[in-house]
Amino acid sequence: MSADGEEEDMRISIYRFNPETDAKPRMQDYDVTPEAGDKKLLDALMRLKTVDDSLSFRRSCREGVCGSDAMNINGRNGLACLTSLAGLKEPVVLRPLPGFPVIRDLIVDMTQFFAHYHAIKPYLINDELAPEHERLQTPQERDRLNGLYECILCACCSAFCPSYWWNPDKFVGPAGLLQAYRFISDSRDTATAERLAYLDDVYRLYRCRTIMNCTEVCPKGLSPSHAIERIRLALVRESS
Amino acid sequence: MRAPPGSAPKFLNLSQIRFPIGAIASIGHRISGVLLLVTLPLLALALDRSLRSEAEFEALRDLVSAPGRALLLVVVVWAASHHVLAGLRHLLMDMGIGSRLAQARTSAWAAIVAAGVIALAAAVRWLS
Amino acid sequence: MRLFLGQRAWMLQRATAVVLLIFLAAAAAMLLAGPRLSYERWHALATSPHGAVLIVVLFAALALHGWIGIRDIVLDYIHPPAGRLLLLGLIALVLIAIVIRVALTMAAHFTTAG
Repeated sequence: MSADGEEEDMRISIYRFNPETDAKPRMQDYDVTPEAGDKKLLDALMRLKTVDDSLSFRRSCREGVCGSDAMNINGRNGLACLTSLAGLKEPVVLRPLPGFPVIRDLIVDMTQFFAHYHAIKPYLINDELAPEHERLQTPQERDRLNGLYECILCACCSAFCPSYWWNPDKFVGPAGLLQAYRFISDSRDTATAERLAYLDDVYRLYRCRTIMNCTEVCPKGLSPSHAIERIRLALVRESS
Repeated sequence: MRAPPGSAPKFLNLSQIRFPIGAIASIGHRISGVLLLVTLPLLALALDRSLRSEAEFEALRDLVSAPGRALLLVVVVWAASHHVLAGLRHLLMDMGIGSRLAQARTSAWAAIVAAGVIALAAAVRWLS
Repeated sequence: MRLFLGQRAWMLQRATAVVLLIFLAAAAAMLLAGPRLSYERWHALATSPHGAVLIVVLFAALALHGWIGIRDIVLDYIHPPAGRLLLLGLIALVLIAIVIRVALTMAAHFTTAG
């Protein structure tokens, strides 16, 4: 029973696909009654597991920092653990992240997504003599990483980007580009020129059309489109 | 009935995805661009005709008298308006003006509505 | 085509856009501010040395801007490299032909303007 004494049934329609038994995906309807403590969509999904434990989805931290439970919720990408049940339009339609190969139900293959992340070299590159303690940064230099380091690689952005849908193998995508910019912005990194040179490509960076779907759905409130804008300006500055 | 190996499905049914207003402005920008490119040879033709004689010049001006052609011209007017306004929006965002989410949403709405209004005005002018 | 790789194409797209916007603003100012455009005035403007050159420049800018734009569409949706090359090549030829046609048109009218 919920706090105001009402017992509400929620209708959730979920994309199902089992590669071992299904030729193609289908939608399956469920009815779930959230209990008093169930505030987020992930709570409802966990409750559904007790009804149908063949339902498969990734989840871990349940607090919006691991990025595991990214999915398409009523047509928009988001994290199930951060999506409130209150105000969620019913029937709640859950589908896997768009454009990503489906492994099973709401679980998608993230290989290509992580390949782009690795390709942009998401680590500090500095071959100068290491100082005795830390490589120091002023507070201002550290602030430049705000809005970039917080990315949890959930893929909500890249999976909502039409340019990424059409060329997932060649376009780095908003998440990868945001991370690329995180390292370009880092005052301790000395490989800026190489990082920019890698991105200066008709596919890697320049598939972006500033549609801004990425920024619309980032569950952490980040702006990959802004990062991409800054990379473009850096490239313009570099060439002049 | 299992799926053949290596043939993982993808969810990409565009009608089941809820696009933000910026995406609508963007696809409109793309469609209008293609439409305008297709009219380029016709524009070149019209240029030639408009300079040949006064009669042909006036004939071009008179194109809108036929409702079928007028409708096509209204579509071209929409395409030009939307492409220019959405394009202007992109130019400004590239320079960092209005690239924050809230501003980008507003400017997307503005571009879409303004282009619609201009097309409507052309329709009223030519089709009534 | 070094010119059309990555950043260059993106800059060129913006540059031609600005050029076209200037043309548009000028045309709008002319048409809205002045009296209804007569054949005589149009003919005089278009076949003057400046006018003729500007019209050719306009079509060249339109063609270039259009080609870069359609290239983005082809790169997005057409994946086989041969198909891409063919389509882009064909469109380039058509656009170049249009610009040449316009140049010839303006040259023809220019000489008959006297």
